[in-house]
Amino acid sequence: MKKAFTLLAAFAVLALGVPQTASAETLRVGMECTYAPFNFKNANGELDGYDVDVAKGVAEIIGADLEFVCQQWDGMIPALLANKFDLVVASMSITDSRLKKMDFSQPYRISVGRLVGKKNAGLNLFDDAGKPIAANFAGVKVGLERASTYASWFEAVLPDAEVALYDDNESLYLDLVNGRTDIIMTNPMKAYLRFLSKDDGAGFEFVSPQVDERKFFGIGVGIGLRQGNDALKGRLNGALKTLTEDGSLEKYALKYFPFAIHNEKWIPVQ
Amino acid sequence: MSFDFALIVDSIPKILTGIGLTFQLLFLSAVLGLALAIILLLMRISGRWYLVAPTMVYIYIFRGTPILVQIFIIYYGLPQLEFVRDSIFWPILREAFGCAIVALTLNTGAYVSEILRGGVLGVDRGLKEAGAALGLSARHRFIYVTAPIAIRLCLPAYSNDVISLMKSTALASTITLLDMMGIARTIVAETYAPYEIFISVMVVYLILTWIIQRGFGWMEKRMSRHVRSEA
Repeated sequence: MKKAFTLLAAFAVLALGVPQTASAETLRVGMECTYAPFNFKNANGELDGYDVDVAKGVAEIIGADLEFVCQQWDGMIPALLANKFDLVVASMSITDSRLKKMDFSQPYRISVGRLVGKKNAGLNLFDDAGKPIAANFAGVKVGLERASTYASWFEAVLPDAEVALYDDNESLYLDLVNGRTDIIMTNPMKAYLRFLSKDDGAGFEFVSPQVDERKFFGIGVGIGLRQGNDALKGRLNGALKTLTEDGSLEKYALKYFPFAIHNEKWIPVQ
Repeated sequence: MSFDFALIVDSIPKILTGIGLTFQLLFLSAVLGLALAIILLLMRISGRWYLVAPTMVYIYIFRGTPILVQIFIIYYGLPQLEFVRDSIFWPILREAFGCAIVALTLNTGAYVSEILRGGVLGVDRGLKEAGAALGLSARHRFIYVTAPIAIRLCLPAYSNDVISLMKSTALASTITLLDMMGIARTIVAETYAPYEIFISVMVVYLILTWIIQRGFGWMEKRMSRHVRSEA
């Protein structure tokens, strides 16, 4: 209802030809504009992607106009602090070191790991509650990236697993196809974009639920803003809650992935 | 940059847990490589073109390409071929260890066979003729006259090859093996302290090189003790 009203208001504004209503604020949003499928310029030269959809969805709910600013990654936080834009919606992970300089909304995308293996291998590695069954990992060869968060997770949760460490993401898929490993654990979005959606990945699928342990994988990706803007932060969080609960976030994700990439239940952190 | 000496002290014991694998790689491929080298040598000096030609091609290929490329082709390349995965070699090639042994053996075999050939060519013709005059057959001349002298001539060059083989085992870390280098690279990825960790590995490899050098030095001395006493 509220959304419909906002939309109506927006149309009314357009129809009347008034550039801005007195109450409308403009939020400038920083992103790389080159990070497909999260924020990128599509074939028509328009900004597109999951981050862009989230920014638009949030702006619609809080009733703000948007202005996108393309900014290189290494200058993203300095530009935010220098007031070149107001929000960072650029797939930026919430970390302790970043929180010292800036603030984040609740995550709108989670950091998870997920196992990939041969289709119909019947490995049965996780129980219905989403917990790994250690005994079923016996004799299963696992490919992981060296010193990755997934390697730390395995070391802590399944220390007896037979693990091979690789130097890069591509080698993981190569040896999985070659049959040297039975399963790999990696970022499900990467796995989908680089492997499962390609010819090589045809015989493979996810063989676990999303493993979401903040201690290892972090909180996820949030909207960044300058510190001391608690009112704005509250409005952002309210909007993200609505987008989570009305299924919008899932809809945005399904444009690019066959699965949702946010926390499907709204559970505030911090 | 701050240099953390304590990290060196801490990391050496961790790196040493990989020394067993480094030794396995070294000894297995040295022994198999030597056997391969002897076969290649015999083919090479057989004087029959259909034995000589393939040997020369083989040696040219394995001496003429980087061993890292050979390891990658064996590890990542071969399994792309369906028939390799169905063959009896797959149990060996499936394992990273097997691939490393195969690559190191094939590589060192090519080098060592050339070293051995140098030794055989270095044996004085007069000695072979003397053997012939004594009525020894070609085979007996090779076993009793040529080989013992050739081995002595080869030793210094061969010891070099064993040392370079030992250093090549570090390349096995690129195909997931946790030898000393593999462990060191994992620690570097965790600590972001490349100087300290790689210097620690360097120290361990230097000590191994010293041991191999001394071992061969002793063998050389022992095998030429009669030469020495005459001089």
